[in-house]
Amino acid sequence: MKIVVAIKQVPERDAQVRIAPNGKWIDEADLQWAMNEPDAYALEEALQLKEKNGGEIIVLSAGPERVGSNLREALAKGADRAIAVICDDLNARDALGVARLLASAIKPENPDLVLTGLQSEDVGLGQTGVIVAELLGLPHATMILHVEKTDAGLTVKRELEEGWFQSIELPTPAVLTMQSGGNKLRYATLMGIKKAKTKELRTASATELGADGVSTVVLEQISAPKKQKSTQILPGTAKEAAAALVEKLKTEARVL
Amino acid sequence: MTDLLPTLAEPQHFFAWERFLFATLAVLSILGFWRRFGPILGNILQSKKDPGFHLFPIGRRVRDFVWEVLLQGKVIRERPLAGVAHALVFWAFCAFALVTLNHCAIMFGLSFLDPSGHVGQLFFGFAALFAVACAVGVFGLFVRRFFVRPKWLGEVSWGSGLVALLIFVLMITYLAAFFLHGDGTASRALWWAHTITLLAFLPLIPHTKHLHLVLSPFTVFLSRDGFADIPPLADDDDFGLVVGKDLTQLVSLQAYSCVECGRCMEHCPANNTGKLLNPKEIVLGLRGYLNEFGPHSEEPLLGKYNAQEAAFECTTCGACEFQCPVGIEHVPIIVGLRRGAVNTGAWEDDYGAKLFVALERGSNALGISPAERDKFVEKNALPLFDGTQEYCLWLGCMGAYDPRGREIVLALVKIFAYLKVSFGVMRKERCTGDPVRRLGNDLLFQQLAEANLEALKQNRVKKIVSICPHCVRTIQEDWKAYGTPPEVEHHSEFLARFARQLPPIQNQEKIVFHDPCYLGRYRGVYEEPRSVAALAGELVEAPRSHERSFCCGAGGGLVFLGEERGERVSHVRAAELAATGASVVGTACPFCNTMFRDAFAEKGNGAPELMDIAQLAARGLPE
Repeated sequence: MKIVVAIKQVPERDAQVRIAPNGKWIDEADLQWAMNEPDAYALEEALQLKEKNGGEIIVLSAGPERVGSNLREALAKGADRAIAVICDDLNARDALGVARLLASAIKPENPDLVLTGLQSEDVGLGQTGVIVAELLGLPHATMILHVEKTDAGLTVKRELEEGWFQSIELPTPAVLTMQSGGNKLRYATLMGIKKAKTKELRTASATELGADGVSTVVLEQISAPKKQKSTQILPGTAKEAAAALVEKLKTEARVL
Repeated sequence: MTDLLPTLAEPQHFFAWERFLFATLAVLSILGFWRRFGPILGNILQSKKDPGFHLFPIGRRVRDFVWEVLLQGKVIRERPLAGVAHALVFWAFCAFALVTLNHCAIMFGLSFLDPSGHVGQLFFGFAALFAVACAVGVFGLFVRRFFVRPKWLGEVSWGSGLVALLIFVLMITYLAAFFLHGDGTASRALWWAHTITLLAFLPLIPHTKHLHLVLSPFTVFLSRDGFADIPPLADDDDFGLVVGKDLTQLVSLQAYSCVECGRCMEHCPANNTGKLLNPKEIVLGLRGYLNEFGPHSEEPLLGKYNAQEAAFECTTCGACEFQCPVGIEHVPIIVGLRRGAVNTGAWEDDYGAKLFVALERGSNALGISPAERDKFVEKNALPLFDGTQEYCLWLGCMGAYDPRGREIVLALVKIFAYLKVSFGVMRKERCTGDPVRRLGNDLLFQQLAEANLEALKQNRVKKIVSICPHCVRTIQEDWKAYGTPPEVEHHSEFLARFARQLPPIQNQEKIVFHDPCYLGRYRGVYEEPRSVAALAGELVEAPRSHERSFCCGAGGGLVFLGEERGERVSHVRAAELAATGASVVGTACPFCNTMFRDAFAEKGNGAPELMDIAQLAARGLPE
C-alpha cells in the first residue's frame, strides 16, 4: 500500500503569536514550528497501516525551507521518503491554491491512499484535503478516526456529532482527512532521527509543479479574538443556586 | 622484650617429593583460578571502551581508594557491625600477604622472614593479632549469614560457608604454629594444612562472589566521577545499553565485582514496596548475560536476564549506588538500559509516550498550555528577567503550573522582596529535560537542553535559583553535555545564607524534614534545608534520613507514569514521616510535595501539614 501523508507546518502550540505590522498575517520572527496535530495523527494512522499491510509512506509538505524539519521528524518516526514543495507564499494562497500545490506533487506518485489532517491548527479552514481529492478525481471521506484495509478497498470509522460514529466502505485510491485522537502518537527516537538522515528528501518548487496560482479568496486582515469573560455568581443557598445553574445550563448554555 | 613473645614454628627441611607435591598443587590451584578468571577478564577487557572516561584528575580516585578500600570507610559507615567484621578480615588479608609469601618460600629455602629474629618475631606477632581479629570477624560474618540471615543476603550460599571455613582454618593453622616448637612432625603437618587450605582457596575466588577480592579495588578506583553520572553516547550507532556489544568495560567490571551483599536492595524503594526491580539482580543479570552471551553479542540485554519492567520501575533515587561498597554505579546502568529501550523505540508505554509527545510539541512535562504560566506570572506581577537582576528564578514545570508548586514559588518571592533581592523569571521556559533524561530519551533531552541553554544565554543569565532539586541537578550536571550552564543553586542553599536575616516565627512546631534524593544524595545538601526549617520549629528525624532518606517515588520520570506494582512508594514514606509524630512535614522538592500531598489526602484528617521550607521560612514575614 502506497500512502502519501500531507503535513502542514504550524506555529508550535506554545507559541506566543503576535500579529504582523501589516495586519495580514502573524509575525513569524522567533516562532518555533511544529507538525499540525491532525496531520500527526494522519501520519500515525499511515505508520500503523504500513506496519499491518506493508508498503511505502511518502510525506509531503508545502511551505518555506523550514518545513524540512517536520519532514525529517516524519521520516524519523518511520516514513520512507519525503517531498518538500518549496514556496514562500503559502499564507497568501487560498485553500484551492494550496491544494493545487499538493495535488500536483501527489499525482505522479499514484498512491493508493492520501491522508491528511481534517484541518490546520493555524487557519483551520478544513478545505485543503477535500479539494485535493477533487483535483485528483478521487473519492474522499472526512473526520476519520480509523482506517482498515479490506480486500475491496477500505473501511473507515468516521466521527459524527454527539458520540455517534459512522462506518463507511470506500474503494482505493481515496483521500481521507483524519481527526485527532484516534490513535496514540508515537514519540520520536534517537535511532529514528539517525536513520532519517539517509532517507530521501526531495524538493520541488511551485513553478516546477506547474502550480503557480492566483488566489480567488484573499485574506484581508487578521485580528486577535476579544477577551470576554462573563462570570456569573448565582445567589442564594446551595440548593437554590444549583437549581438556577441547571436552568441556565438548559436554557442559556443548552448543554443539558 | 621480644623474648617474651611466642615464636612461630616453621619446618626447616622438606623432602624432594614434598617440593614436587607442592609445585603440582600450586600449578593446579593457579590453573583452577585462571580457568575461570581468564574468561571473566576477557569479557571485561573485550567490552567496548567507556566514552568520556578520563583517568585524570587522579586525586579523587586515590582518595576514594584509600577511604573505601584501604580504610573500609564506606563498608563500616553504612553497616557498622558487619562492616567492622569485614574490615578485620580485609586488614588481616593485607597483613598476611607477606606471611603467605614467606610461608611458600620456606619450601624452597628462600625464607626472608626469620621467625626468631627481631623483625620476624614482631611482624609474625603483628600478623597473629590480625589473625585473631580475622578469625573472630569471619566467625561473626558466618553467624550473620547462616543464622541471622538478613533477607537481602538472599538464599543461603554454601560457597560463602566454604570460604568462611577456609579463612577460619587458615587463621587457626597460622596461630597454632605459635604453640609448637621447631621442625617437628606437628609443625610440618600444620604447614601442609595451611598450604592446602591456601591452595584450595585460590580457585574458589573467581567461582564465588569472593571475586570482589580481586576486582573491587579496581572498580572503586576506576568508578566514574560524580554521583549517578550518565555517560555520553559514544557515536551515531550508540543508543545506550541495547545488546551485549553496548556493554562498556566499566559496566562489565562492575557486573563481575558485585559481592551480593544486598545493601542496594535493602535501600531500594522499588524493592521495598513489592516491585520487580532489584538493583542487585540488575547487576547479576548483566553478569549472567556476559557469562552466557559475552560482550560481542547481539542478544538484547532486556530479555533473558533483565526485564524491561524492572528497568522502568527505578526512581533513580540513587540509594543503591550510594550504598554500594564495591563501586558499582547502578543509576547509569539502569538509565543505560532505559536509553537502549527508548532510543530504539522498544519501550511502548502509554504514559511515557504521552509525556514524550507533550514535550516534543510543547514546553512542559505536565502538558498544560503555557498561557497558564503567563497568567501566573502576570497575576502575581513576577518581574521578567532582563539581564539587570542578580538572580533568574527558574520556575520549573511544577513551580509554573502546579498549584502547590506555585505557592512555594510565591513564598520564595515574598522572601526575596523582604530581603530586597533582585530577581526575574524567564519569559518562556522549557522543561529542563530531567524526566526524559532519566527515562532515557536522549533525543528529546538534547532538544530541551539546547533550547534552554540558548534562551538563558540570550538573556545573559548568570545565576539561577530554583525550588526544584531535579531542575538544579539537570541544569548543573546534565546540561554540560550540550553547553555551559549558568551557576545554579537550590532555594535551600540560598535561604540558608539569609536565614539569620529573616524575622523570627512565633508558632513553633515539631517538624520532620524529608531529604529529597536529588538534593541529598545527588548534591550532598543536607544541613542547609534543615537550618531553614529550624526557623519554624523543633526538628525531629525520620528513621531513614540524610543519605539514607527513602524516596517519595516521583523521580526518574516515574511521577508521569502509570500505577505502581505493589505498594506505592509515596504511601510508605508518608506513613514513616507521619509516624514521627511531627505536626509538619518539611519538604524541599515540589515533586516530593505532590507525592505526599496525595498520600496524606488518602489518610484524611490527622495527617501532618505539608510545607516547603520556603513556606516555613516565610511564616514570620509581615503580611
